[in-house]
Amino acid sequence: MHAELTSLFGLNVYTDKGLYVGNVNDVVIETADRLVTGLALTKVNQELFDVSREGVILPYRWVLAIGDIVLVKQVNRLAKKDESE
Amino acid sequence: MAKIFAKNLSKKNVMSSDGSILGALYNVVIDIRTGELINLVVKPDMSVDRSLYRSEGNYMLIPFGAVRAIKDVMVVDKIEALNR
Repeated sequence: MHAELTSLFGLNVYTDKGLYVGNVNDVVIETADRLVTGLALTKVNQELFDVSREGVILPYRWVLAIGDIVLVKQVNRLAKKDESE
Repeated sequence: MAKIFAKNLSKKNVMSSDGSILGALYNVVIDIRTGELINLVVKPDMSVDRSLYRSEGNYMLIPFGAVRAIKDVMVVDKIEALNR
C-alpha cells in the first residue's frame, strides 16, 4: 500500500502487545537505497526508554502495520536494543 | 547520499539534470510494507511543461529512482524523470 510520507507524522506508535512506544516526529530515509530506514519518535514511553533522551529512532523493519496508528513488533528489552541504533 | 530526516527535505527545490528548475518538493510517496521510496510529489514551477510528467492533481510525480543527488537542492535525471 502506498502512502504519502507526511501522513506518518503525528501517528502514535504501539507494539503488538499493546504497549505505547511514542509519537512519530520524523522519518529517517536512506536515499542511496531508496528506503525508509527508521521512525524518529518523541513523547516516548519513559518506562521503555532512558528518561534523559529526548527521542528515539525505531528501525523501520520493526513496523508491522500503519493505519490510524503505527503497530510495531514488541522486541525484548526494546530500550536496550534501540540505543545501539 | 546518506541517511537524512524527511523533514529536512520539505520544500527543497527540485532541479533537472539539465539545470532547469522543476519545482519544490511537496511530499514523498512510500510503500508502507517495504518502506520503499516510490515517487517524489513536486509542486511544479510555473515555467515547467507539466504534460511531460506524470501528474496527480496540481502536483507532478517523479519516480524516486531518477534522483541523482540531494544536498542544497535535489537533482533528478532529466530523462528518467519524464513520463514514459
